[in-house]
Amino acid sequence: MLGRPLEFIVTDNQTKSDQALAASRNLDINDKVLALSGPTSSDVALAMYGYAEQQKLPFLVPVAAFPQLTKPGTRYTFRIEPDAAGWGYAMAKYIEQIKPGAKVALMHSDAALMRAIMAGFRYQAPRSKLNIVADIMFPQGSSDATVQAAQVRAAAPDYVIVSGAGAFDNVLTNQLLDLGIKPQQIIHPYGITTQVFGWGQRSVGSIYGTFFDVGLDSVTKEGKDFIARFDAAHGRPPSYVENYCYVTPYIFKEAIEAAGTGDDREKLRNALSALNTKEKTTGVPIVFDKNGARKEYMYFQEIVSVNGKRSYQSKQRFYIEWDPEVIPVYDLVK
Amino acid sequence: MTDAQILILMSTLSTGLILGAIFALVAAGVTIVYGCVWLPNASNGQFFLLASLAAWTFTASFGWTSAAAAVGVLVLGTALAYLLEWTLIRRLYDTPNRNVAYFVVTLGLTQIMTGMFSLTYAKWSDQFTLPPIVEGITMFGPFPMPNNRLFVMGVSLLVLVLLFVLLRYHPYGRALRAVFQNREAAALRGVNVRAIYRLSFVLGSVIIFLGGILFALAYSYDLTVAWTMSITAFAIMIIGGPGSVVGALVIGMTFGFTQAIVSIFASPTAATFSYLGAMLLILLFRPSGLFKR
Repeated sequence: MLGRPLEFIVTDNQTKSDQALAASRNLDINDKVLALSGPTSSDVALAMYGYAEQQKLPFLVPVAAFPQLTKPGTRYTFRIEPDAAGWGYAMAKYIEQIKPGAKVALMHSDAALMRAIMAGFRYQAPRSKLNIVADIMFPQGSSDATVQAAQVRAAAPDYVIVSGAGAFDNVLTNQLLDLGIKPQQIIHPYGITTQVFGWGQRSVGSIYGTFFDVGLDSVTKEGKDFIARFDAAHGRPPSYVENYCYVTPYIFKEAIEAAGTGDDREKLRNALSALNTKEKTTGVPIVFDKNGARKEYMYFQEIVSVNGKRSYQSKQRFYIEWDPEVIPVYDLVK
Repeated sequence: MTDAQILILMSTLSTGLILGAIFALVAAGVTIVYGCVWLPNASNGQFFLLASLAAWTFTASFGWTSAAAAVGVLVLGTALAYLLEWTLIRRLYDTPNRNVAYFVVTLGLTQIMTGMFSLTYAKWSDQFTLPPIVEGITMFGPFPMPNNRLFVMGVSLLVLVLLFVLLRYHPYGRALRAVFQNREAAALRGVNVRAIYRLSFVLGSVIIFLGGILFALAYSYDLTVAWTMSITAFAIMIIGGPGSVVGALVIGMTFGFTQAIVSIFASPTAATFSYLGAMLLILLFRPSGLFKR
């Protein structure tokens, strides 16, 4: 690329904000990197965000959904993953399409990610003519939802949006199923491979949101090759998290070639800002807005079968694209 | 009553009973050790977590059934309790104000165990649970109760009853109560005080281990459960009266039902600290607890 290989210097930030900040400083000052990338946690990304913006160092974030990472005024940070409040918006649009006027119950953990998702959903629900009949938040570390599952069942919702932190997601899901809620009524805001395995065969028919999945209609030839190689290496199909990490070098490549230099941070920043390309694995557009937020999109998949912890099948049920600021995302989640 | 109302009522009852029984069991373990040895075990939550994580390891890594894992953990737990008593606890039996010394020592244990869990289990998973020992569900009207939870509740209550009988009618129990009340007088009457201390520490610790296993059978949990259980057990012991198994049972059940009911009328978040407010209120009026040992 421009006569030089694209080199990545890998530093373990241990998913700790202070480590990430120290690593960013080291990569900037000692290694004189052209750009930063890499965190898969909003907390870590936010710690690096301040440094990147202050030092005018392009920062391409593959996986971090907290909205404020691309708040108005952001110049050097670009985020590949749609923001979490937008996921809530997309869910409301999905339910609006399949059952206008539906009654919806929310059961979610109070982790920042889940709060942001639900904030987006609560904002959009009345605009999509949806009726929220139960809204239950669980503190982190919760281990049981027997009473709340009964409350939700008693509210007779058409759909239940379930988003527990970690394995508590399985607890919520199973307790709802135990009480007679049908899998078809359960919608998970997002699903990665290990979660689908955790939900298991009894969740066949339930829906989850995602940004990349083996069951997508739009997986390209390169996407299929990526899935096959990942599966061979790890014994399971990749999720959107791995997909975003896979497409990140391609984004850098295109932006550097467009900038015409591998040494000028400002030119790279401008090239990223003007980028208009597609994900190699799915063909989904990659375009960033004035704040570095991506033109957002989401798939909703239905679980068709789950084969232990090895493989699963899903069917694409819905696809939506939207402008990041179609809802007041930066006011909804501070 | 509509099916929906019955559903909520039954779910509240079942949650209150199971949580209450496990709370009571763990608090009974804590209260026996404190009441007899005067050892406020700050690491009781970590003991609880250790047992549940060890059982999880036996099932997840070695493919044991949950029943086999429970037996294995109880055997190892008994040995560990004896080892701890032999290497650490007995050295402070005759120390003046040993309750303070014990508190500091067990706080140290807590820190060490917390660090070990963070370095190991926290990296493997964020939440743990054991496969059920008893499969299937039993319907109570419209409410499906997992048989495994019924089993957990039954075992917890049975152990509490056995504990009560042991302390009330068995010679060991009488000796233990004698040491509770007056160590010197018990010694003059021929009670081997140090042996009773040892037995009490081991018995109390094994009961906490059992509580951890039963909790892991009924619920999923993460590493924060140690802190929650530690605070809860101390609160139950203080309100119920140190050394009182009946107090542990009554207050444990009260806490379990409080948590279940508050989670309906307020929120699950409020439920997690609601009973601690009740503890402060009761201590204002009955600083020595509601039940005498």
